[in-house]
Amino acid sequence: MRSNKLEYFKIGMLLLNSVAVMLISVFVNVTTEDIRARFYARRFLDGVNAIPPRPAADIVYCGMLLLILVCAFILRKKVFPQNKTLIYISLALDFAISILIVYILDFNYNGILLFVFANVLAHTKDSKIRYSLIMLAVVSFLVTGYEFAAISNRLYSIRDYIAFYAPAIQQYLFGIYNGIISLNIIMFILYCVYEIIGQQGTIDEVNNLYDRLSKANRYLENANEQLRDYAVITEKMGETRERNRLAREIHDTLGHTLTGISAGIDACITTLSISPEETKKQLNIIARVTREGIADVRRSVNELRVDAQENPKLEHNVTKMITDMQAVTDAKIYFTNKAGILKLSEDEENAIYRVIQESVTNAIRHGKAEKIWIELNHNDGHILLVVEDNGIGCKEVKSGFGTKHIRERIEMLGGKVAFGGTENGFKVTGEIPVRWGCSI
Amino acid sequence: MKKISIKQWAVICACTAALTAGAITLRELNKPVVLELGMFVGSNWGVANANSYVIIDKAIERFESEHKNVKVLYDSGIQKVDYSEWFARRVLSGNAPDVFMVLSSDFYQFSSMGIMKNLDGLMQSDESFHKDKFFTTALDSGKYGGTQYALPYEIVPTLMFVNKSLLLSNGIQVPSYDWTWNDFYDICSRLTQDSHQNEAANRFGTLNFNWYDVVTTNGAYLFDADGKQANFTDERVAEAIRFSKQIYDLNHGQKVTQEDFDNGNVAFMPLLFAEYRTYKTYPYKIKKYTSFQWDCITMPSGKNGGNTSSVDSLLIGINSRTRHEKLAWEFLKLLTYDEELQTDIFRYSQGASALRSVTNSIQVEKILQEEMEEGERIISHELLSRVIEEGSVTPRFPNYIEAMALAENEVNKIFESNKNIDQTLKYIQRTVSRFLVN
Repeated sequence: MRSNKLEYFKIGMLLLNSVAVMLISVFVNVTTEDIRARFYARRFLDGVNAIPPRPAADIVYCGMLLLILVCAFILRKKVFPQNKTLIYISLALDFAISILIVYILDFNYNGILLFVFANVLAHTKDSKIRYSLIMLAVVSFLVTGYEFAAISNRLYSIRDYIAFYAPAIQQYLFGIYNGIISLNIIMFILYCVYEIIGQQGTIDEVNNLYDRLSKANRYLENANEQLRDYAVITEKMGETRERNRLAREIHDTLGHTLTGISAGIDACITTLSISPEETKKQLNIIARVTREGIADVRRSVNELRVDAQENPKLEHNVTKMITDMQAVTDAKIYFTNKAGILKLSEDEENAIYRVIQESVTNAIRHGKAEKIWIELNHNDGHILLVVEDNGIGCKEVKSGFGTKHIRERIEMLGGKVAFGGTENGFKVTGEIPVRWGCSI
Repeated sequence: MKKISIKQWAVICACTAALTAGAITLRELNKPVVLELGMFVGSNWGVANANSYVIIDKAIERFESEHKNVKVLYDSGIQKVDYSEWFARRVLSGNAPDVFMVLSSDFYQFSSMGIMKNLDGLMQSDESFHKDKFFTTALDSGKYGGTQYALPYEIVPTLMFVNKSLLLSNGIQVPSYDWTWNDFYDICSRLTQDSHQNEAANRFGTLNFNWYDVVTTNGAYLFDADGKQANFTDERVAEAIRFSKQIYDLNHGQKVTQEDFDNGNVAFMPLLFAEYRTYKTYPYKIKKYTSFQWDCITMPSGKNGGNTSSVDSLLIGINSRTRHEKLAWEFLKLLTYDEELQTDIFRYSQGASALRSVTNSIQVEKILQEEMEEGERIISHELLSRVIEEGSVTPRFPNYIEAMALAENEVNKIFESNKNIDQTLKYIQRTVSRFLVN
């Protein structure tokens, strides 16, 4: 409803301005002919500053330019109401054409610019461009005012042409001329008022939509969190299912193989005394079945994760690893767990275990360390891990395969790691945030 | 029906525009260029002229032979009195001629309205054009506000007519070209004094030698070139008025008329060079001043001035909106700057050429001599050149006539009712200045 009203305003302004422009150009031409017919030309020239160069041609020019304005208006409305680029181009064209019309009429009428500004206002909702365009509009409207333009230019004045007629007719002519100018300005102001009221409505609507959007957003956040939890559970369930599947497979293959072997051996015991040849054959079969079984077991076992998987207790695993290490090397390894028993998820345990293993291996292999201290601490949702040795150390820490792996593992969990080398040993300090973050 | 897309619209529009533009260009290219000349028939100086179109026709013929595919047209039969209105009407409907003669009364208005083309650029860029070839006075008459808007086609200085018979019969020699106010006063007083012996005077010193002509001979100007300022309080103006008053008083209030002059009873009268040439030669010679011998000399010079008289010129300008600027300039140059054509001014018209080399040539003197009867002294080319060179340009600003009427009214009071000269001049200065500002 409102936008319809605005459209009517714009059409009204277009009509009024077309009439005004054509009236002025025709009036000037008619008056020129009248002056010529009365042989008053020379005296008329004495009283004016300038005259239009080609009054008859001006009518044609104005008519053609107005036609383009009308076409652009219709195209904007009917052909490309959605195409922003074309709309802007056509608005720029409108502006250029109306400036041209103002120029042809020697600045005697610049109301046509108001029509262009009304269109610009209607089509630019983007406030940034809008304000500069409004500035441009105000400046161009002021600059194209007759009184302003006549300061530095020699312009003909419609008033001189009106003054040619008898005073009684002059009154009417001035009335019409000023009436058109005023009516156009009034229409423009009304248009602006409607446009502003319309925009207030739009702002309310936008605020309303924003509220609804915020609510929807909060709801979505909750849903997202639930989904994340659910994903973790699903992941766990998946792992359990996978583990069960593997266990089943091991049971099936190993059970089957072992049953086969047991049955085969029973048969061998019976046939051993009767036919050693047959027994040997049977044993060969058993050997093959056994090898196949071993292969099956290896495959299944490989699919499970080692160490931690077997025993989710980190401390136990580490202790076992230390014992194993000490058995094969001379190094003394001290392990202090100040964190107590941690409830860690498997990937965290695994990572920590691997980091310790890697660090200890490095200390022995590269540092030739005799003593290695491992310390595990828990602080404010973080696991602090320090592995220090008294080996040869290094002055500069080079990024090698070992340290790179350690860094990758810790960073994968969102933690930080630092390597420090002195002459008296090497130190790995890791800090890992714990998701379930508490000790039991 | 299928909807026409934006792109198709654009293509259709572009094609139509291109075709139209092409057709128009093709049509324009094949048309011969038409250059229009605006001119009036007869003399600019109110003397009879039977050969109005001879020079112009010669010029057009030459121009058309030099420029193929160019036609020069003019409306024939426009009288000088109608010319201003005719031209103004053409200007109003926007189809003024490309090149046109402009009357002195129109020059200021037309150049200030931008109807006439600013010629400074064309003059500077044309290497074959040297403005020094014109008399400075003549060239200045085509200037407005320091800008050249027109070039002088023909110029006419004012000379002093001398009734030789009257002077000689009273035992007075014809004055030399360097004569002064004193000589002038001397002769006038001798003539009138003699005649006053028998109560009503029948011989007079001068007719129409107005106070403003006297001002010119005293090196003063009543107005500046643009008509923005009046100079009535200039001491030289006061001197000139005082001198005029002396001359006026010689007649004891008796009015000198044209009839007195025609009957051979007046010694001096300012006369246009055009009139001189017309009435000195056949056939118009028989029309006027047949009962006495006469000649022309310079104006008498004042204390602070020279033997200066006003120089009037017939100007030709170019329409500022001409579409053939180059051709219009070439044609204007042919009319005003070509020595051969300008020499024809002396053959077929009554004025003088604005070109120094033409007016100052022996050939011109010969042409003038041919027109004269044997035994008549003719104006030497030196005198003519000198009068033009030292001449002063008649002001052309629009309110000139009104401003002069205002002043003249007051000055007449000085003559007729013996008003105080200095006070009256101060009053005139105030009144006229106020008039010029408004």
